[in-house]
Amino acid sequence: MNRRDFLQLGAAAPLLAHPAGLPKYRVVTRFEHVAGSGFPGLYPGKAVRVRSERAVDTAANRVDASVVKTMLSRGMCELTGASNDRDAWSHFISSSDVVGIKVNCSGGPEINSNPELVSAIIDNLMALGVPADHICIYDRFENQLRIVNFGPKVAAGVKIFGAENQRGSILGYDPNTFVEVNFFGEEDTRSNLIRPVSEKFTKVINVPTMKEHRASGVTGCLKNIAYGDFSNVARSHQREKSNTYSFIGTLASVEPLRSRTVLNIMDGLRSLWQGGPFLQSPRFLFFPKQLVLGTDPVALDRLLLDMIEDKRKQEGAPSLFDRSESRLKRGPELDPQYNSFIREPGHIEYASTLGLGIFDKARITEKAIEL
Amino acid sequence: MSVLLAVLLLPSLFWDQGPDSAGKLRQAGIQAIAVAPANAAAWKGTTGISVAVEDPNQLTKAAPPRVTMRGNEASATRAPWVDSNGWRYLRQPDGHFYCDAPGASAALAAAEAFAYGVHAAIHTDNAGFEPLAKMLAFLQTIKDENWPSLVNIGFLDDGSAESGEFMNLLVRRNLLFRVVKQPDSKMDLNVAPGSAEYPKTEAANPSLLAAKVRANLTDEKRLLRIYGSEVVVGRLVGKGSAARLYLINYGASRGPARGLRIRVLGTFNKQEAAQFDSTETRLQDVSTDAGATEFTLPELKTFGMINLAR
Repeated sequence: MNRRDFLQLGAAAPLLAHPAGLPKYRVVTRFEHVAGSGFPGLYPGKAVRVRSERAVDTAANRVDASVVKTMLSRGMCELTGASNDRDAWSHFISSSDVVGIKVNCSGGPEINSNPELVSAIIDNLMALGVPADHICIYDRFENQLRIVNFGPKVAAGVKIFGAENQRGSILGYDPNTFVEVNFFGEEDTRSNLIRPVSEKFTKVINVPTMKEHRASGVTGCLKNIAYGDFSNVARSHQREKSNTYSFIGTLASVEPLRSRTVLNIMDGLRSLWQGGPFLQSPRFLFFPKQLVLGTDPVALDRLLLDMIEDKRKQEGAPSLFDRSESRLKRGPELDPQYNSFIREPGHIEYASTLGLGIFDKARITEKAIEL
Repeated sequence: MSVLLAVLLLPSLFWDQGPDSAGKLRQAGIQAIAVAPANAAAWKGTTGISVAVEDPNQLTKAAPPRVTMRGNEASATRAPWVDSNGWRYLRQPDGHFYCDAPGASAALAAAEAFAYGVHAAIHTDNAGFEPLAKMLAFLQTIKDENWPSLVNIGFLDDGSAESGEFMNLLVRRNLLFRVVKQPDSKMDLNVAPGSAEYPKTEAANPSLLAAKVRANLTDEKRLLRIYGSEVVVGRLVGKGSAARLYLINYGASRGPARGLRIRVLGTFNKQEAAQFDSTETRLQDVSTDAGATEFTLPELKTFGMINLAR
């Protein structure tokens, strides 16, 4: 086997407050980076935000599929400069591709990648000529996929794949593509890539939700594609300490995941400002009613960071960047003044140092569309 | 790497019922039992069953092997608590052991004693009888190669309880060792409890000491790595160009370990699996690069073994 082993001893650390000394990562993969593909992709530093007040009926907590379809269409055309959907999607996908759609089901059924959005994405892929059985909705945990239940809501024939039909099983992962790191002395030091990403998919579309995360600060493009595509990642948190700061970017850099992920469509129809990734209390749910599209996960997550920070400020909650020990309390995060972990929102800037995208807001072009 | 000669021994069923139960034993395929001295006379003359006399009071007690959850106790690790006798068997490889193992732990106890090559009499209850009988039958089918253990850590055991717990943690972490009387230059690492590196003052935290051993040996030099489970313990034996890996799933009563990725140091071009209670013997995604052999065992129920050859 033509393996390429290398040590990634931690790139130059960004200037955010963070304990010194990053873990030593060993990335094992047989895949090379495909120049010009994947993060940061065709449009570095570009983000398109499409918002519609009609996207969600908040009283009924119901998503309007036709509005979402229009939002997606406007966003894709704006991102690519195309005049129609077909041309817009052709920038990323061809009819011969096998496409994985990486959803986020960790907060389901209340807060997850919405089936209405995923269905609209699939319709566009099929309009390009991608056969339904060459499209696969996937995530790590089969039980979470079952809860969200995409099947009846998307085109017939589309595959659905959960890497773990039993928690902890490694059979759905590629044994030859992994990141090895020892965080806390754990025995199993490997996190393996979901197998179809390396063996079947030629393209991946990342469909994260926009929400606060108790360990990483926020969970958007980077967290969804990183922790959502590799096994055995919960080991990176212990007590109040989380290694998400450097682990997220490291995982997102692994080939072929990086090169094959050609598009990010962040689902911000619903969001959480506390207690994520799960809905721990209905009072933490809010409705931004927006989609954010782009190829650069760092730029998109940078905007997400602002959105959650603004909301928390509005709610009187401390900043995601607050590292004070007095704010630590184990258990459910029902009091927004406290958290179980020291959050690591700096993971986004760290990812930029790995070449995954642009963090400097002055270099990010954001186009906002209100429908 | 060093070798220690061991004798492959079959564990026995310790039986406290009278000879009127001989039919039940025969039906279960039991051909040999151990009985207490007080019952020896009664069993004399019974045909078709070999009877050995063992006094449990004269045998070293072993604990029922299993996994216990201690969620409400503070600990240095989140790993499940594995009750293994491996350290006892390595401390006394020539010892005679008695294990009262109810239910599912009985079959596990037999597999464990067999894998470590020690003499053990296993007593069980009604729930454990049939699985134990099946395990004993399975163990009889394994070809006795009389291979020595493969280890690369020498442990200078002072016989203390603290050293026992230290060894227990090494077993549970699959850090393969044998007890030595003095440092062995053939080993990659010698561990002396009470030395400056492994002081007695740290004995209260054997997990920390085991982590230190792991760090000093380095993961690259570990003879065995098991990814995908914290409750599967392996024992490696071999000679010349062949090796055998025994795999014991201490969490078997909670369900099979699904998908074990196993790395054995050394290049073995042939791999063959056998399992006690599963027909799953396919090895997937085999690779033999970088001086190690890796493969995935899709499922391990209670006990399995992998024969490896160069």
